[in-house]
Amino acid sequence: MQLPISIGHVQLTLHFRGGGLFDKADKRYAEFRQPRAEGLPVFLEPPGATGLASSQFSFALDGATLHLDSAAARFRGGRHEYALDSLIRILLSVMLLPRHGFLLHAASVVRDGCAHIFTGRSGAGKSTIASLSPPGSVLTDEISLLRCHRSGWHAHGTPFWGEFRAAGLNRRFPVAGIYVLVQASENHVEPLSPREGLRAILPNVLFFSSNKPMTEELLRVMAEAAETIPFYRLHFRRDSSFWRIIAA
Amino acid sequence: MTDGKPAHNPSLAWREIDGSVVIISPADSMVHELNSTAGFIWKHTDGKRAAEEIASLLTAEFDVSAESALLDTLELLAVLEENGLVMFSPVMEGMRNG
Repeated sequence: MQLPISIGHVQLTLHFRGGGLFDKADKRYAEFRQPRAEGLPVFLEPPGATGLASSQFSFALDGATLHLDSAAARFRGGRHEYALDSLIRILLSVMLLPRHGFLLHAASVVRDGCAHIFTGRSGAGKSTIASLSPPGSVLTDEISLLRCHRSGWHAHGTPFWGEFRAAGLNRRFPVAGIYVLVQASENHVEPLSPREGLRAILPNVLFFSSNKPMTEELLRVMAEAAETIPFYRLHFRRDSSFWRIIAA
Repeated sequence: MTDGKPAHNPSLAWREIDGSVVIISPADSMVHELNSTAGFIWKHTDGKRAAEEIASLLTAEFDVSAESALLDTLELLAVLEENGLVMFSPVMEGMRNG
């Protein structure tokens, strides 16, 4: 059984051996489903399966492993949809780099046709920002996907939501700015230099490689982002009034 | 240990961004950021120049005395070595003993 999906214009074709996980994945990634299986084959295999001599990238997580080479990816030992979701994030973090993209712990909210990216450590207010935004305007409340296309940086919707909700819009919008969240008693927005912006977001980038060329690639992509996207520190009250100073 | 010629730890990834040098250690994801003076020293730390030569370049680039430049260079290189960012090539025994 196979499930073709596209997240951030990265196409994957998930190949399942059993129906249980397929049904859950089909539901979770419904918005991201594609009509044709044209993406990188991703084989979901039981633990201990063999057949891949070497891989360009591998990662182990809670007993499950991801192996990636130029022709296919293999998930081994992932027993449930949570493991599958985590491994897809890891796979995307690798595949996005040569495509000028990255995943960021951040909520993305669309306003006036542009995406505003709100990032911060756990508890900084990403979910709060998303919950204070109109229905249908939130691309994700947890993991944002940013890519530099010919027309500039865009935020793509992702299926990666907090509390494992099946949501997300499979659309992209030009990025208006990245806001580093600080909860405060008064709303205040403070522009950051590219260096300050980079320093603020690096800890929130999803990156799983200890490989030097991939780390160099990450720095290259992050430098592009830092020098192009406006960065701000947003001191905000826990209500929707912060939009007034962002829109101004 | 600051004898010999300092070189970058070859496992590190680094890049100059907005006037600062950002270094990432892939093994532990540690991020280091160097200001312009430290970044200048870092960029000239290539395994070919001794600390004295780097200090001399620093004097030419910034408004600092030769003595102060050498002290700054040695101090920074020691910190970078302590943090595993820089390594010193061993000095040949014959050369060390003259």
